[in-house]
Amino acid sequence: MVDALVETKLLQPRPRREAVQRPRLAALLRHATDLPVTVVSAPAGFGKTTLLASWLSTTEVPTAWVSLDARDRAAASFWPYVLTALDRAVLGSGAAAALALFGSGQAAIETVLAGVVNELSVHDGDLVLVLDDYHFADGPEVTEGMTFLVEHLPPQLHLVVSTRADPGLPLPRLRARGELVEVRATDLRFDGDEVAAYLNDLNGLGLPAEAVAALETRTEGWVAALQLAVLSLRDRSDAAGFIDRFAGDDRFVVDYLVDEVLDRQPDSVRRFLLDTSVLERLTGTLCDALLDDAASNSPGAGRAMLDLLDRQNLFVVPLDDHRRWYRYHHLFGHVLRAHLLQERPGDVPELHRRASSWYAANGDVEEAVRHALTAGDLGAAADLVERAVPDLRRLRRESVIRRWVDDLPDDVLVDRPALAMGLVGGLMASNDFAGVEDRLRAVEATVTRPGSELVVVDQAEFDRIPAAIEMYRAALALVGGDPETAVARAARAIDAAPADDDLTPPAAAGISGLASWTMGDVVAAHASYVTAAAGLASAGYVADVLGCSLTIADMELTLGRLGDAEATLRGALELAERNSPVGGVLRGTADMLVALSRIAWHRDDMAAAADLVRRADDLGEAAGLPQNPYRWRVAMARVRAAERDWTGALELVDDAVRVYVGDFSPPVHPLHATRARLLAAAGDLDAAAAWAREHGLSAEDDLSYLREYEHLTFARILLAQHRTGGDENALRDARALLDRLFEAAEAGSRTGTVLEVEVLRALARHASGDDTDAALESLDHAVELAEPQGWVRFLLDSGPGVGELLVMLAGRRPHAAFVRDLIARRVDEPAARSTGSRPAVGPQPIPTTPAASEPPGRLLDPLSDRELDVLRLLASDLDGPSIARELVVSLNTVRTHTKHVYSKLGVNSRRAAVSRAHQLGLLGRGSRAGRS
Amino acid sequence: MSTAQGPGWYEIRLQGRLDERWAAWFDGMTIEPAPGGVTVLRGPVVDQAALHGVLARVHDLGVPLISVKPTGEDSGR
Repeated sequence: MVDALVETKLLQPRPRREAVQRPRLAALLRHATDLPVTVVSAPAGFGKTTLLASWLSTTEVPTAWVSLDARDRAAASFWPYVLTALDRAVLGSGAAAALALFGSGQAAIETVLAGVVNELSVHDGDLVLVLDDYHFADGPEVTEGMTFLVEHLPPQLHLVVSTRADPGLPLPRLRARGELVEVRATDLRFDGDEVAAYLNDLNGLGLPAEAVAALETRTEGWVAALQLAVLSLRDRSDAAGFIDRFAGDDRFVVDYLVDEVLDRQPDSVRRFLLDTSVLERLTGTLCDALLDDAASNSPGAGRAMLDLLDRQNLFVVPLDDHRRWYRYHHLFGHVLRAHLLQERPGDVPELHRRASSWYAANGDVEEAVRHALTAGDLGAAADLVERAVPDLRRLRRESVIRRWVDDLPDDVLVDRPALAMGLVGGLMASNDFAGVEDRLRAVEATVTRPGSELVVVDQAEFDRIPAAIEMYRAALALVGGDPETAVARAARAIDAAPADDDLTPPAAAGISGLASWTMGDVVAAHASYVTAAAGLASAGYVADVLGCSLTIADMELTLGRLGDAEATLRGALELAERNSPVGGVLRGTADMLVALSRIAWHRDDMAAAADLVRRADDLGEAAGLPQNPYRWRVAMARVRAAERDWTGALELVDDAVRVYVGDFSPPVHPLHATRARLLAAAGDLDAAAAWAREHGLSAEDDLSYLREYEHLTFARILLAQHRTGGDENALRDARALLDRLFEAAEAGSRTGTVLEVEVLRALARHASGDDTDAALESLDHAVELAEPQGWVRFLLDSGPGVGELLVMLAGRRPHAAFVRDLIARRVDEPAARSTGSRPAVGPQPIPTTPAASEPPGRLLDPLSDRELDVLRLLASDLDGPSIARELVVSLNTVRTHTKHVYSKLGVNSRRAAVSRAHQLGLLGRGSRAGRS
Repeated sequence: MSTAQGPGWYEIRLQGRLDERWAAWFDGMTIEPAPGGVTVLRGPVVDQAALHGVLARVHDLGVPLISVKPTGEDSGR
């Protein structure tokens, strides 16, 4: 039922079958599909929505329609509707991805919208976005994103806003340039001919010209008033007398006419109108619930009454195609409520209470709480909220809980500790930490009071309070930069949790894990995360299990447990597949494939690594967590780098930086370090050294796990500097740094790091020329660690020279099949050695990776040179018009090329086109081929 | 202008005669007719946000707004 209400907000109203033709307004709106923004601004009852509905029925342009209401002043409510509407209107608008990104709460609204703007700027064809009743949403929260959108509107997107007050958007500039269509009250007023057409042609009143003129003057062409006048005149014998009286009266026109209309209704209808005027939306059974018992004796009375009002055109507006939900026309609703308040003010709270009960029974707790609050029944509202909290938490809808924090005053919370804790959960989930400690202290004081003084609706929630307090304090400590306290508090939370509490222990374990991780204690962090994931899995939080699994696998790699990491990810992948909706894919599935690709890469199974990335991409945007776009590019860059396609790899990493979205984990593998590693491997040592300077890296740094990856990268750069320039200082620094990194990693049981360090130490010792035994000892250690788990990649790409050392090691260990296999995989190495240890730069795909990418020729219908140009620019940040400028062609030409590119690549969005192009190797290699 | 930010009495003039019944809708302000088919709303307003709330209600009804003026307490009564 709740979903059905959401649907009503996205339903484009049908044009009225019978309406006055208004060619002058149609002429105004003709430009709405040429110009960027159209604003229809007039008070209630001027026919704004009717006008737009009838205009849209005459255009072929796809339309995204959103009917806004008072809740949409919150950005958290507004943008999901807008993005959902865009996603439905245009396939591949990027709105689905933007929606996921927005939902993650990890990106600024500008970042979210930039994706949509970029997609639409190369979309083939126009699109209208209608925001109806925008005045409801117009406020600081929504204006931020809307301003960005208006300032970056792609030429394909036409924004149409209907509003009762001019919106807070940057319109003057558009107006000055003649790029704004404005339809205002003056335009919307019915002129003499239209009034005559409305009264006589449409409604068959047969009024003489003087009567029409009198009504036009008195209503000033306000269609809401004309509509009421028609209701008053219908079946009236003395039309002339009515019009005379009306024209001679100076009362507010709507007030006068609603009185007239209400007076002519039977008591039952009048009573129904007033009683149900407290509702924002009406449906049969809800109305039944509001009516007095006597009136609602017959079930279906409400539905029958709504049908009657609809047929008689009495104040109601249908909200869906099945005419199940209605609302009162805003203007008339206000007048009806004023009548109710005047006649029976004492009934209003009871009506809201009944509405609250109906919504509670029908599963819409937000509306139930809203009506309870309006009824002034804080007790009922508090009961509803307390009962709703566990479900909302499970559904990750804590933003709803957060909103109630402001609605429920402190004196309601004094006796309700479980409720107070529920609200704390909403605040914490919204990163709103101020005042949380005060609230926790208040709850601690409350629970010491006798139970008879307390109100507890949900006993289980009450029982977990002591554990929850510790858990939230642990989280506050972690946020406040005190991970030791966080670990201690989390342990106490786990101890204090009651047996049936399936949430606190895993949540506390997660906090503890994050704290340990931050401190570099990967072993403890891993154990905590495993506990958290198991608890979350048995409590049914599948999405969280997937997120946890990525972290666990990452730690297992650091700990040297390659096989365990693979098992963790395979288990998570199976879990995701088991829990996928019918015919769909669970979000997070793609992330598991991308992470598995990294495992395959470590094993040097490049065909599998490339295949996994490809499979992840084939699942589409909806299968990935918000971080997947950047992780995917890093995975693809690894594949490219293994082929020594440095340009392609670097482009992908740069692209990853562009689409980067953080999460709560500490960034232990920062993209800038990955980029520096690639630069060093590609031989661009100046750029790599610049990175080290920019990040203040030196061999004397204090070491911490959080910067380990950066220091390992720095060591690689130092080694490369010695190799190419003979810089003895660099070598000495590298040796000292690597020795310290070795000790730190050994002390932290980070075997994966030990393995990587040992290979680098072997190279460093060998490079000194006097220490071959020590070098081979390190390499031997590395091989010992690598063989049982199948680590290969560290031994292949740590730098030229490893091959030589491996050959020497094979000489000492004649039966080592693993070593011989490693040597065989380094078939490019002899060439490098024969030219004096120079790094091999340039595209020299190693022969063991034939399936890593399909050559461009594999497209059934290859891209033309021009299409390749467009494709390369699609991979950039440029919007459509900039691409057109870059190529010195018209925007239409860009769109045509884009359309061909999409169809040849078999995709329907810019993002998918770029991904596919990377898969097919069209970008890195294609650009060189194009230039030669 | 001591009333500009804090609580104070306001007089709001509207074009068109509004029935007494609207007093409850406008949160207890008094409603009086004035010459020329004008309606005057008068009453205490706790702060700027409340004043804007009253004006929004005027706007919701589509009644033309003529003037808004802070006044001394009980003036005109």
